[in-house]
Amino acid sequence: MEGEIGLLEGLKWIKSLNYSQVIFEMDAKGVVDALDILEFGHIISECVDILSSEPYFQASSKKFITREEWEKRLSNIKVRKEDMNKLVMNFLVTEGYVEAAEKFRLESGTGLEFKNAWIPYWKIADIYLATITDRMAVKKAVQNGNVEDAIEKVNDLNPEILDTNPQLFFHLQQQRLIELIRHGKVEEALEFAQEELAPRGEENQGFLEELERTVALLAFEDVANCPIGELLDISQRLKTASEVNAAILISQSHEKDPKLPGLLKMLMWAQNQLGGKATYPRINNLSTAALEDPAV
Amino acid sequence: MSEATSQSEPPAKDLIGSYFLDLWLYTSKTLALKPETELKSEFEEEGEESPTALDTLNSSGGFSVVGPDKLSLLYPNANLHGHDVGVVQANRPAPLKRLLYYFEMYVKSAGAKGQISIGFTTSAFKLRRQPGWEANSYGYHGDDGLLYRGHGKGDPFGPTYTTGDTVGGGINYATQEFFFTKNGVVVGSVYKDVKGPVFPTVAVHSQNEEVTVNFGKDPFIFDLKAYEAEQRDKQQSKIDNVHIPQDASYGIIRSYLQHYGYEETLKLLDIAGKSTVPPVSVVPENSLNEKDGTYALNQRKTLRQLIKSGKIDETFSTLGNWYPQIVQDGTSTTCFLLHCQKFIELVRDGKLEEAIMYGRSEFDKFKKLSGFDDLVKDCAALLAYEQPSKSSVGYLLQESQRELVADAVNTMILSTNPNVKDANLCVHSCLERLIRQVTACFLEKRSLNGDQGEAFQLSRILNSGKKG
Repeated sequence: MEGEIGLLEGLKWIKSLNYSQVIFEMDAKGVVDALDILEFGHIISECVDILSSEPYFQASSKKFITREEWEKRLSNIKVRKEDMNKLVMNFLVTEGYVEAAEKFRLESGTGLEFKNAWIPYWKIADIYLATITDRMAVKKAVQNGNVEDAIEKVNDLNPEILDTNPQLFFHLQQQRLIELIRHGKVEEALEFAQEELAPRGEENQGFLEELERTVALLAFEDVANCPIGELLDISQRLKTASEVNAAILISQSHEKDPKLPGLLKMLMWAQNQLGGKATYPRINNLSTAALEDPAV
Repeated sequence: MSEATSQSEPPAKDLIGSYFLDLWLYTSKTLALKPETELKSEFEEEGEESPTALDTLNSSGGFSVVGPDKLSLLYPNANLHGHDVGVVQANRPAPLKRLLYYFEMYVKSAGAKGQISIGFTTSAFKLRRQPGWEANSYGYHGDDGLLYRGHGKGDPFGPTYTTGDTVGGGINYATQEFFFTKNGVVVGSVYKDVKGPVFPTVAVHSQNEEVTVNFGKDPFIFDLKAYEAEQRDKQQSKIDNVHIPQDASYGIIRSYLQHYGYEETLKLLDIAGKSTVPPVSVVPENSLNEKDGTYALNQRKTLRQLIKSGKIDETFSTLGNWYPQIVQDGTSTTCFLLHCQKFIELVRDGKLEEAIMYGRSEFDKFKKLSGFDDLVKDCAALLAYEQPSKSSVGYLLQESQRELVADAVNTMILSTNPNVKDANLCVHSCLERLIRQVTACFLEKRSLNGDQGEAFQLSRILNSGKKG
């Protein structure tokens, strides 16, 4: 009985306040459903009267899950320690924390992923870890603006990477040009642009536009504050560094992104999806993973 | 719980101890049955059975004949009207707890009029009508290429099909649609407006029509795996747009390393984190969380190393020096776990006699612990085999068992931190809590959706070697 009486009182009160668009969320699905069936006694029919007289009133039902119930469900879920260790290793390797990955291998006995297979830790050759170190060296070189050095290192690692990746190669050359301009070497920059970059521009409209944009830097006195000054910003280097890092990972049959951020996104997405149908304790702070009680 | 333990151990230890005992019992039950399991099919875990053949128990009129292999169907006579369709359902309804379900039908002969169809029907379906001609049924018909969904008039849908063609019918639980294919190409899809289990269905209606059905025993003409990957990608792109804080992952990894005592890794990670470009925002040294996280970090690391290298005697003496409260009660769960591990190490080293003596002198006092019988039986069983690692209790000799014991000791030490209010927080790392939450959300979402669709599977995420 409580459901209907509660709804009726709620409806009367809201009506007296003259609100026009109201949604009533109820956890008593039976009451909500009954509103469609008019035989359910006079209280329901009073509710229906008010609801039908006010054009914008709606009633919906959302399941309510208590903290206790939710925690019980959580406690039934088993997560394998090995799987969590693999997630951690995947993060350390993909993000390039070589020394940490190597130490984690020893401290936890976790293997590494290579060419879509998991290799147990006792089979890992140092040569594999060396490929991570090499990759990080390339990334660092670009981040520090030593593009020529980076290109040399990439070709040492695997000459096919730049051959099969014209866009990456163009961006690296573009970065070289930017560095020359940054250091005020105007003549060298122009020569470089004409000899190395212009031919690429001829092949590809997008490259040509980028090239013109970059060369335009030379036209400004106060380069740092001009409209295309962002090209000189460190973020440009970081973008290119990321691109080369991803290309190397892919050439080694590795995914370019660690799995953990994707998992976190999936958590937030799943919580939102469920939130549309149920009220339950959520985790809003990823760093503490603390459960927050549903707002009553 | 034994009377002796409940008098000398504060409640927190009971909680922690019983958690790890439960975990061991769970591992014993799941791993012990299939020692070779590395990657169980995720469908097995869900415990649903799939259709394997055509149903021969339920039929009305017997207008069509099911072949002896139960995978073929023939309409021998001439049809007379619209209520003598030779329609047959599969022996089971389509399983729900996955992303997609799919089956195929090959038209061996279109007979006189090619009135063949493929679709889905419920258990209430009148087995004399074409699928799609009755409510709550769907059928893609070969003679006119129309899709029928509940009444005698069909909607334009796709091409007709005849002798030599292979058509497929599928369910996409994520989008709640039926989809159909012809010769490996998707023809179209339609909203699935029917609740409850549905049966894969095929039908023949004119003389000498003959079809064969494939429920997965043979490879499909349609590239189901590629389609599945496509569907996952679609869902994935919605998820990719979700925003999470910049260094959230880094912080969670750090707290994981702190929680389980991987001190050396943590040190190296912190050094690397400071020199990345841009530097990762590191937690301030003296925040409360940091202090709790690094409580007894060095000691926990040392003890984990000891246990992982099988040095149990040294573990006992070290714990006795540093944390006597954990081992002073010789009948606690921690002691039980350590004694079992010592037994296992002796077996591993081939010192069977010593192991037996050890077991006899130590195991008896743990009689009253719940789960004791099963676990000691498992340990003792190691003695029965020449090659114990290949037996059903071989899991005890794997790293994961040492890991379990190391985690238990780690948690017990964390619980000695006077700042800790809730012993439960010591058991699960932040990462574990996050994984549990996403698993629970998916399960509840699925349950609210009539139990349709797939659950969250960490192993699937780990093994999805998707190339960026």
